[in-house]
Amino acid sequence: MSILTDRLREQLRERFAERLRDPVQLTLFTRPGSGRLILPSGLGCPTCEDAKQMAEDLAAAAPERIRLDVVDVSGGGAGGVEVPTLTVGVPDQEPRIRWQGLPAGFEFATVVDAIERVSTGAHDLSPASLQGLAAAREPVEIMVFATPG
Amino acid sequence: MSLANRMALASPLVSAITIEAEEFPELSRAFGVQGVPRTVVNRRGAFVGALPEAQFVGAVLQLAGVAAAEPPGDGDGSPG
Repeated sequence: MSILTDRLREQLRERFAERLRDPVQLTLFTRPGSGRLILPSGLGCPTCEDAKQMAEDLAAAAPERIRLDVVDVSGGGAGGVEVPTLTVGVPDQEPRIRWQGLPAGFEFATVVDAIERVSTGAHDLSPASLQGLAAAREPVEIMVFATPG
Repeated sequence: MSLANRMALASPLVSAITIEAEEFPELSRAFGVQGVPRTVVNRRGAFVGALPEAQFVGAVLQLAGVAAAEPPGDGDGSPG
């Protein structure tokens, strides 16, 4: 079952065929079977199924470039990660880009953009921004609270 | 496009997480989210609103305590 329309999936296939270069690793942390029920905090996951379908649609748009792993957190072996969480990164490296919650609406576009940028390494930051970043000596965590928009 | 994601792509010391505020109300309350986008750096300082690249990067680095985080002057103007 797909969460994206046929037209959007076709657009993704065409776009990824043109823009992806190197392999990209997607990892979805989810809790299967929790469906859309609203349960007490920490038990339910009303958006997990939609997130899984979205991740599968993304991977299916470029199966030769995008690998998807789905991690079931039900057993508690994922370090307490919230669900759903989707990470985008380079294979065999710790991912540094993630979404917590279903990245719908405008945020879906940022996932597509991140996949393309990770695949090509094109951050397109200015020299001044890179100079500033180069001065960092400790980890910097950026949390962006957003709504689907 | 997300400037936080682009910073994470550019530096191995940077990680970016986008949180759907309405899905995680307790976390949102814990970080004082009243408007979006709200950007929280190292779980300490924060700012609200989409900023052009130069201002966004400068604000993040300043909140992270990066010494050389003087406001960059030639950002591309894309929103954060």
